[in-house]
Amino acid sequence: MKHLFIRKRLSFVAGIFLCTGLSMTHAADFPEKGDFVKGAKAWADNCTRCHNLRDPKELRDDQWITTTFHMRVRGGLTGQETRDILTFLQQSN
Amino acid sequence: MCKSDRKTKRNTTGFLFKSCLILLLPVSTFAASELEVLKLEVEQLKKDVKQAKEWSNPNSLIHMAGYADVGYISDDNPATEDSFSVGTFAPIFHYQYRDLVMLESELEIELAEDGSTEIKLEYLTIDWMINDYAVLVAGQFLSPIGNFRQNLHPSWINKLPSAPPGFGHDGAAPVSDLGVQLRGGFYLGDMKANYSLYVGNGPEVKAEIEDDGLGGIDEIEFDGVDAEAFGADADGDKVFGGRLGLFPLKSLEVGVSFLSGDATVTEYEGGDPTGGSAPSLDGISGSAYDVIGVDISYQRKAVDLRYEYVATEMSAITIGGFDLQAAEWTTWYAQGAYRFLPSKYEAVIRVSEFDSPHDSNDQEQLALGINYLFSNNFIGKLGFESNDNPNVGQTAYDRWMLQLAYGF
Repeated sequence: MKHLFIRKRLSFVAGIFLCTGLSMTHAADFPEKGDFVKGAKAWADNCTRCHNLRDPKELRDDQWITTTFHMRVRGGLTGQETRDILTFLQQSN
Repeated sequence: MCKSDRKTKRNTTGFLFKSCLILLLPVSTFAASELEVLKLEVEQLKKDVKQAKEWSNPNSLIHMAGYADVGYISDDNPATEDSFSVGTFAPIFHYQYRDLVMLESELEIELAEDGSTEIKLEYLTIDWMINDYAVLVAGQFLSPIGNFRQNLHPSWINKLPSAPPGFGHDGAAPVSDLGVQLRGGFYLGDMKANYSLYVGNGPEVKAEIEDDGLGGIDEIEFDGVDAEAFGADADGDKVFGGRLGLFPLKSLEVGVSFLSGDATVTEYEGGDPTGGSAPSLDGISGSAYDVIGVDISYQRKAVDLRYEYVATEMSAITIGGFDLQAAEWTTWYAQGAYRFLPSKYEAVIRVSEFDSPHDSNDQEQLALGINYLFSNNFIGKLGFESNDNPNVGQTAYDRWMLQLAYGF
């Protein structure tokens, strides 16, 4: 019983480590954090100019970085709009 | 309790004690080995976590996006048969180093009628994020002239299964170019604006020789402008252009575009029908090449309205004593779409007209469509086109199209 308890505890600790590691896998330290509320508005205003809105849950945080930067170039977004939209998407997925 | 009973109890106790020792020895040995296993597992997990952490904050990101479409086309054009088709598979690769630079590249992979696969580079650019208001885009890029080509042509975005006449690869609107572009967004007070300015290799121009039926040349005329990116500048003449988009209302964008420079005839379309008497194209001077465009788009709730006009002009030029008259290619479309919320159905109507110097290429089109949005990036389209050529002796045809488009 004691070993089972130790094993469970170790597994739990290891799980925490792994979960932390995995969750940090996509937590790049760039770009600077934007404004969530402004991002939600900019997302709704800008993205539908050309295409249907994409669900924030479609992509991981790191994938949203490349996607929003791609759309910054393509859609003529400012850097601040890009960061705001990215913050909104990363916190909504 | 008698003496023999006490002795029996001592023997029993001793037996039990010895038995326990015998039993617990392997248990403790087992426990020790299990702890070793657990330690090893923990060590391995620590290594895994450490490895995972190596990717927790990478400076470089890689991502693949893109789109693809498949479909079925049925028309009453006697020159073609009804058939299933693979439209385009267009993977887009993104490589990004922090918020400094991004490499973008899209391939256009198509299945030819003979079953072979065609691969083209749609664009390949290195984008340097200079500051919040400017991005330097270098390489082969989609033409920023107008809106359809640079933003609306992917099949999961285009609300109809086909491009408007004149906005394809042989139309009036430039497709792509190779050069350097500066683009971005900014605010004029409260009004949002975006811009692009570029210098590029420019197009190549084709001329066509009309023979006189006696082995000589009757006339030479402009055939078409290949306004696609070329790996080398055949005529050495660069073009300069761009687009300015303004948002007088939040949901209304008005864009104006221009492109100007010199372009030179580099090839005779269809070769030389006279068998060698065509004037040489070596060393000829270029003629003025100008493009203007206007695009308007309005989106509000379930309504999506668009209008776009592009005109390309080539000025007159003389080749080997033959005067090539000035030529103009114009195209426009007006499109309206309505989403029947909260359902997933959407109706589309588009009217368009393409006018070229060659009567056989002219096209007037009415297109209707019903779309079903399985999701916002996976769309089923049913489209109908009524195509007409207003010139005498030209054929008209209708076309039905089914398309599944997926943006990923």
